[in-house]
Amino acid sequence: MSLAPLLESRRVVLCVGSGGVGKTTTAAALGLAAAMQGKRVLCLTIDPAKRLANSLGLEAMTSEAQVVDPARFAEAGLAVGGSLTVMMLDTKRTFDELVRTYASSPEARDRILGNKLYQYVSTSLAGTHEYMAMEKLHAVKREGKYDLILLDTPPTANALDFLDAPERLVSALDSAAMRWFIEVFQESGSLSFNLLAKTAAVVLKGIGKLTGGGFLQQVAEFVTQLNDLFGGFKERAAEVARSLRAPDVAFVLVTSPAPMAIQEVLFFAERLREQGMPQDAVVVNRVNQPPRSPTDALAAREEAARLALGLDDDGPDRLVQASHDEGKLAELDRRNLAPLAAALGELSARPLRVDVPALPYDVHDLASLAEVARHLAS
Amino acid sequence: MTTLLDRRFHFVTGKGGVGKTTITSALALSLAARDKRVLICGCNAKERFSALFEAPPLGHDVTLVAENVWATNIDPGRAMEEYGQMILKSRTVSRAVFDNRYVRSFFRATPGLYEWAMLGKAWFHAVEPSPDGTPPFDAVIVDAPATGHGLDMLRVPKVIVDVVPPGILRRDAERAWEMFRDERQTGVVIVTLPEDMPVNETLELSEAMTGELGLHVSNVVVNGMIPPLFSAPERASLLAPRALDERTRGGVAVAAGARRALRETIQAEALAKLGKHLSSPKVYVPLYFGGVNGLAEVREIARRLS
Repeated sequence: MSLAPLLESRRVVLCVGSGGVGKTTTAAALGLAAAMQGKRVLCLTIDPAKRLANSLGLEAMTSEAQVVDPARFAEAGLAVGGSLTVMMLDTKRTFDELVRTYASSPEARDRILGNKLYQYVSTSLAGTHEYMAMEKLHAVKREGKYDLILLDTPPTANALDFLDAPERLVSALDSAAMRWFIEVFQESGSLSFNLLAKTAAVVLKGIGKLTGGGFLQQVAEFVTQLNDLFGGFKERAAEVARSLRAPDVAFVLVTSPAPMAIQEVLFFAERLREQGMPQDAVVVNRVNQPPRSPTDALAAREEAARLALGLDDDGPDRLVQASHDEGKLAELDRRNLAPLAAALGELSARPLRVDVPALPYDVHDLASLAEVARHLAS
Repeated sequence: MTTLLDRRFHFVTGKGGVGKTTITSALALSLAARDKRVLICGCNAKERFSALFEAPPLGHDVTLVAENVWATNIDPGRAMEEYGQMILKSRTVSRAVFDNRYVRSFFRATPGLYEWAMLGKAWFHAVEPSPDGTPPFDAVIVDAPATGHGLDMLRVPKVIVDVVPPGILRRDAERAWEMFRDERQTGVVIVTLPEDMPVNETLELSEAMTGELGLHVSNVVVNGMIPPLFSAPERASLLAPRALDERTRGGVAVAAGARRALRETIQAEALAKLGKHLSSPKVYVPLYFGGVNGLAEVREIARRLS
C-alpha cells in the first residue's frame, strides 16, 4: 500500500488523530514524499517538533512561510524536484487578521482588538485553534501558490472537535442568539425587563447570580462589537466548512497501535462516514515488526564472534532476548490492531492503510524523515 | 513517593500516548492501599478505566471500581447543570437557564467553560463535606488532557479570577485556585517516556506549570522503561556502523541487539537530560512487553509508585 496516489490526486491532505500518534511526522513525511514527486508543497503545522525543524534548517519557527533550503536535501542525498515550505499556525494572529478584514470601520476594529475579553477569546474560545487552522488552510489554498497543502491538525483531545469547529463557532456567534443577547441589554447596560419575556429575565438573573452582575454586561458589550463583523464572518466560516468537504481534500487518519488511539480513530472514521466524508487513508505509526526468523544462542554466538562484537560471555543470550522482546512487542501490536483491521474490512470503500514500522529512535532528521516517507509513499 | 500520600488533589498530565490513564489508575490503587478513599476523574475522553479495573463501562456517575477507589468520567454539560442547580437552589430556574437554546450554544463556545466545569467538579469532590463534615474522598486524581490542553484547563480558574467580577463563580474559582497553588494539598504529576521528544515536552510543560502558573510538580513518572540488556561498552560495540544482514538466525539476533542498544542509549540520554534539568522526584515504570491489560499489571505498577 502507498499513499502516493493520494498525493498525486489531491490538493489538501488533513492528518487527523489523537495526541501523540505522530501526526506532525506523518504530515512532514508526506510533504517530503510529494516534494520528491516534484510538487510545490506547504506543510501547515501547529506544533513543530523542534529537532526536526532544526534539521530542516528552520531555526526560528514563525508564522511566516519558510522554504526548506534545497541544499539540505542535497546533503541528505535526496532528489527533491519540487519544494517544501513550512508554516506555523498562529491562532491569535489569524483571528486578528479576520477582525481586520471584516470590521466595518477602523474604530470598530480597534474596539474589538482592544477588548479585554477578546484577548482570551482569540486564543481559547472553544474551537478557535481548530477553526483558525482551517481558516488559514482556506486562505493559502485560494492563493494557489502550492500544489499540495498538508495540515497537521491541532492535538485535540477529541479528533472530532476539528470537524465541528466552524459549526460550533458559527452557532456560538449565531445571529439569533446574538440578537437575543443584545436585546436583553439596553445601551445603558442595565437590564430592561420590559423588553424581555419573563423566562429570559429568569435566565439572565440565574446566570448573573453565578457570574456576578457586571460580567454579563461586559459580555454583551463584546458580543455587540463582534456582531459588527458577523455578516462577513459567518459567510466565511460557511465557506471554510464547505471547502473541507471539497473532493480535492483527503483525510488521513493517523494512529499508533495503542488501544486508545485506535478507538479514537475508529470513532472518527465512523463520524466521517456519517457525514458522507471520505476516509481516504489510515496510517498506523510505530508498528513493531516481528523477527524475520527465529534465532538461538548458538547462531547468535557465532555471528557475534564473526563480527568481533566483544560482548560479555552471556552476550549472545541477551541478543536472543532482544529479539524475543521485539517479537513480544510485535505480537502486542498485532493484537491491538486486530479491531482496526476488522473495522476497515467491513467498509465498502476501504481506505488505504499503511503501517510504518517502529524505528528505535524519534524521527529527528531528513534521513529518518525520508525513511518514513518511503514507507508512506514509495 | 511519600509526599504523594498527603496531597488531596493530583493532576496527571503529559504528552499524548505516554500512559496517563494507566498511571492515574495505579496511583489510585497505591493511595487506596494506604486506606485512602480515592476518586478518579476522567475528563470526558474515551475512557479506559473500566478496562484497566475490569469494571463495567464508566459514565458520569461516580462508581466504585475497586476497594476504596471510585471513578467518574465527567460530562461537562451535566457538571454545569449540577453546579447551576446547587447555586440557584431551584430546579425550575436552573432548568430555565440550562434548557434555553441560546444559553446552551453560548455555553458550548464560551472559552474554558467546559474545562472549568470538569476541573471545578473534580475540585468540588475534593472539598465537599459529607453530612458528618468530613470530605468523602481523601484524594482526587484528575486524568487530565495532554500537555497543551491540560495547561489550558489549569489556566481557566486563573482567567476567571482575572476577568470575572466578584460573584459565586469567581469565589469558587478563587478557592479552587488557592488549593491548586498550595503544594501541601495539590501536586501535578507529569507522565513521560524515556525518549527525546517526550522528555523535551516534559521539561517545557514543567516550566509552564511552575513558572507561568505557579503550581507544584510533585512527581515525574517515567513510563515504558526498557530493562537494559547491554552495558555501555557493549552498546558502543553493537552500534558501530556495519551492514546488518537479517537473513540468517545469527543476523536476526545481532540486528535486534543493535536496535535494542540504540533504544537503550536514547533512554540513557533522555534520563540524563531529565535528571539534569528537572529536580522533581522521579518514579520509573517498566515497559510491559505484553501490554497493560487489566488489574494485574495496574496493581504491579501501583506497588512501584508507593
